[in-house]
Amino acid sequence: MAAVVSKNNKLYNQLMVATVLVVTFIMLVPIYWIASTSFKSYNDSVSIPPTVFFEPEMTGVVKVFTKRTILRKDPSPAKLAKSAWYEKIIFKAGEKVLRASAFPSRLWNSIVICVVSTAIALMMGTFAAYAFSRFKIFGKDDWLFFILSQKMLPPMVVIIPIFLMYRTLGLIDSYSGMILIYTAMNLPFAVWLMKGFVDEIPIEYEEAAMIDGYTRFQAFWKIVLPQSVTGMAATSVFCFITAWNEFALALILAPRNVQTAPPFIPSQVGSGIPDWTAIAAGATIFLIPVMIFTFLLRKHLLRGVTFGAIRK
Amino acid sequence: MAVGVHKEATNSQPGLARTGLSDLSIRNLFIIPTIAFLACMNIFPLIWSLFLSFHEWRANLPDEKAVYVGIQHYRDILNDPAFWQTFSLTAQYVLYAVVGELVVGFGVALLLNREMKAKGVITTLLLLPMMMSPAVVGLFWKLLWNPGWGIVNPIFGLANDYAWLSDANRALWAVVITDIWMWAPFVMLLSLAGLSAIPKHLYEAAEIDRASWWFTFRNITLPLVTPLLLIAIIFRTMENFKQFDMIFTMTGGGPGTSTEVHSIRLYRMAFQSWDTGKSSAFAYILLIMVIGISMIYIKYLNKIKER
Amino acid sequence: MNLLKKLTLGILALTISSALYAQKLTIFWAEWDPANQLQELAEMYTEETGVDVVVETTPWPDFQTKTFTEFAAKGSSFDMVVGDSQWVGAGVKGGHYVKLNDFFKEHKVAETMTAGTVAAYAEYPQGSKNYYAIPTEGDADGWAYRKDWFEDPKEMANFQKKYGYKLDVPETWAQLKDIAEFFHRPDEGRYGVTVYTGKGYDALTMGIENVIFAFGGSLGDYATYKVEGLVNSKETIAAVEYYKELYQFTPPDWGDTFFAEANQVFTQGKVAMSMNYFAFFPALTNKKVNPHVAGTGYFSNPKGPAGRFAALGGQGMSINSYISDSQKKLSYDFLAWFVKEENQRKWAEVGGFTCNKAVLESEAFLNATPFNAAFKETMFMVKDFWAIPEFADLLEPIQRNMHQYIVADQGTAKEGLDNVAREWKEILKKAGYTN
Repeated sequence: MAAVVSKNNKLYNQLMVATVLVVTFIMLVPIYWIASTSFKSYNDSVSIPPTVFFEPEMTGVVKVFTKRTILRKDPSPAKLAKSAWYEKIIFKAGEKVLRASAFPSRLWNSIVICVVSTAIALMMGTFAAYAFSRFKIFGKDDWLFFILSQKMLPPMVVIIPIFLMYRTLGLIDSYSGMILIYTAMNLPFAVWLMKGFVDEIPIEYEEAAMIDGYTRFQAFWKIVLPQSVTGMAATSVFCFITAWNEFALALILAPRNVQTAPPFIPSQVGSGIPDWTAIAAGATIFLIPVMIFTFLLRKHLLRGVTFGAIRK
Repeated sequence: MAVGVHKEATNSQPGLARTGLSDLSIRNLFIIPTIAFLACMNIFPLIWSLFLSFHEWRANLPDEKAVYVGIQHYRDILNDPAFWQTFSLTAQYVLYAVVGELVVGFGVALLLNREMKAKGVITTLLLLPMMMSPAVVGLFWKLLWNPGWGIVNPIFGLANDYAWLSDANRALWAVVITDIWMWAPFVMLLSLAGLSAIPKHLYEAAEIDRASWWFTFRNITLPLVTPLLLIAIIFRTMENFKQFDMIFTMTGGGPGTSTEVHSIRLYRMAFQSWDTGKSSAFAYILLIMVIGISMIYIKYLNKIKER
Repeated sequence: MNLLKKLTLGILALTISSALYAQKLTIFWAEWDPANQLQELAEMYTEETGVDVVVETTPWPDFQTKTFTEFAAKGSSFDMVVGDSQWVGAGVKGGHYVKLNDFFKEHKVAETMTAGTVAAYAEYPQGSKNYYAIPTEGDADGWAYRKDWFEDPKEMANFQKKYGYKLDVPETWAQLKDIAEFFHRPDEGRYGVTVYTGKGYDALTMGIENVIFAFGGSLGDYATYKVEGLVNSKETIAAVEYYKELYQFTPPDWGDTFFAEANQVFTQGKVAMSMNYFAFFPALTNKKVNPHVAGTGYFSNPKGPAGRFAALGGQGMSINSYISDSQKKLSYDFLAWFVKEENQRKWAEVGGFTCNKAVLESEAFLNATPFNAAFKETMFMVKDFWAIPEFADLLEPIQRNMHQYIVADQGTAKEGLDNVAREWKEILKKAGYTN
């Protein structure tokens, strides 16, 4: 039959491919919309009906990086000549720049907290994963279950006592507090995912090395670790993205100085009128690393989202 | 689907020269920090809040003494119709969202499960939404749902006064649709894994028997993909049950309480009304529910792994 | 040493040195124009003294949550907070605000600032002469309207024919509703009115408050803590029902809105009248944002059966009690500079709503913006929400129940207010005010 209907089949297949393209297009429209809004002028961003084609400008991007106030009188030509390019852009929007906004420091906070917590989670996770993979442990499945169950806790449920604990220890709004909580959030994941990767490394390699006189630790350090570099890279990117995207814990535990980007971006509603160009610019800048990482990770996504249970 | 081989080293291998740490101490050194750390960060605070849930105490007045009230808070919450309303709202949201994600995700996976150019790129593009921050997704969908300058109404040919987020009956649907946009790719990813693992010869045999499309789908495709779909369902159920970020930035629970799922209600109780004792009790009720769902999930995950 | 290492060390050194040597003050406020204006004023202070002053902001809907989370954690990440008028009780009772009695005496604050603002923003408990804040931004609800539409002869004639009186700035709430109805033409993309409907913080309640007081309703007796029969009295119910009637003349998608959305539709030329706090009006004077600057006018709240009232907004600046002594000293220095009349004048010049009597009464202030005259009028008819420490607890039920009735359209005004009364009674009882 296959031979007879092959022409029909081909047409059908093409139709399906076309449908896939349409679906992909629809799924991507929201992302395009937010990215394009960051380059719209204020008036284009709130026009009815919405503007699809427009002259791109940097106003929104400059706005998210600056604190501004309303321009009460137009700047003198001399002053205008002295102004930087971004100040001119803001003058054109009827405002003037006062100083830089908190956005760069919020991004920096996000980077510091996510990188450090990822590194710690990865380190502890790899060690634990190795032990769980290679050694006999009493009640191993129960321990693994316990570790994974920590990942299932709803943030809103644990946050009340954590808030109180942090308050007592003076960890609210501190880098160490945020790093600790993000490490705890990612550790179960790191253990499970790394265990999957370590399981795949043939145990014979270490055995051979140990026969050659390596200690157990040397075997782990010199044989197993280099073998699991891919796994560690994938795990750390996953941990990083999870921490990067986290919102609820940061909302409560990092209210100000070490606030990360996710709670900051919605707070850029503008002073008198919601300015979607600035919010969109902030969101877009924030999403760029995630998009890059998604492409880097594409081979490991399935494994990641199932805690290493399904490998492909 | 390749399932990992699981092998264990026997602890003592006589005859091996070993000068470093013993296996036992390495094992302890590697595992105990992780377990201890998690216990400190999660178990200990939970014991604290269990204690608080039996007391009347406000975290914004830390110097006042906690008053023991027994199970009063639990009784109040379970007898409060508002709680059950929140609960039923959350259940509705979870149900609609998960069903929607399943239908869309599995559907797209069926479409994608064929030879085509740039399949890898397209799949990755489709997966982008689920990697994003739910809070930021909620925020920018708020723009998309705006009846005037948002993009949803023009796309579906609706008038520019067809409100979504400020309409008590439609807000939940807007939240559900956003959730489907974000998480259908997750179901798609799992379904694709299942679909691509189905041996080709089964389809060929069906074709020789001139089996109908529906017959093939029901008797070959579905049974073989079901285990993975179940994982997807349980996982999404649990995650949606915990949902806070996306709804919080999109509607804040409004209008009225029409999208106030229990995480948001809990947030308001705990950090706006500062009713710490009662919200601890509320948190415990949720915790028990989540433990229930996650038990099923982990059991199932283990079962899949063993196959 | 490679470049990366050098760079890291450089940044580290910079961070440490700036933390050690620079004198820096952080003032926490909500995200709105006055905060930007305060930043502008602070730049002048920095120029004079070299002390860096940063005004940090967060959106209104979570300003209160954020601040009190910080206080609950005894945090010191901001030195001063420009706290909302209702917070004074909570700030004082929790021990979060530094007592400023000596400062008041030394700088004669109570004498130079208007009595109403001192009582509402600074003093707790009322009449105790204990002060905890420097009145900073006076504020209350008022209205922006489309003067050009109101003065259009054709509209005026049609209005006269339909309602039997002249189209003008409304004198009563009933007239306001007529005008809203008159201009409400959804098919032309024009809407009658915008009022607050926001679910976050206090938006909806502040909007309704204007009407409740004018209708002779009440939010309870602030002295005896009686709420039953007051917050659900006939008058209060009528006021809430009136507000819901106004709600039908609002633009589409108007279910969760506050100042920003109000300004937005106003600048898009879609609405005839827009209720807002005066402090949000500066955005309407930016002709890049509001193309209708010339046709925009302002008026204060109309009369109700019980008179003219406006919901009080406005804030006073308080010192965080958890900061170090050296930061406290810096804060005092700034406040001392801030309360000087010349600097209050500068504050008004950059657009701040000063509470300084002399500046307020000056001709220059009245003419500084198109809305300052209406503002001054309003400041004499203000009334506030509960200012007890439990105000946030009281806000939550009224916000929830009113949103449920007005926006979600469920239940009746009476049911909603009965719920409020019941929940408030419980809260007040729990807090020990009543038995």
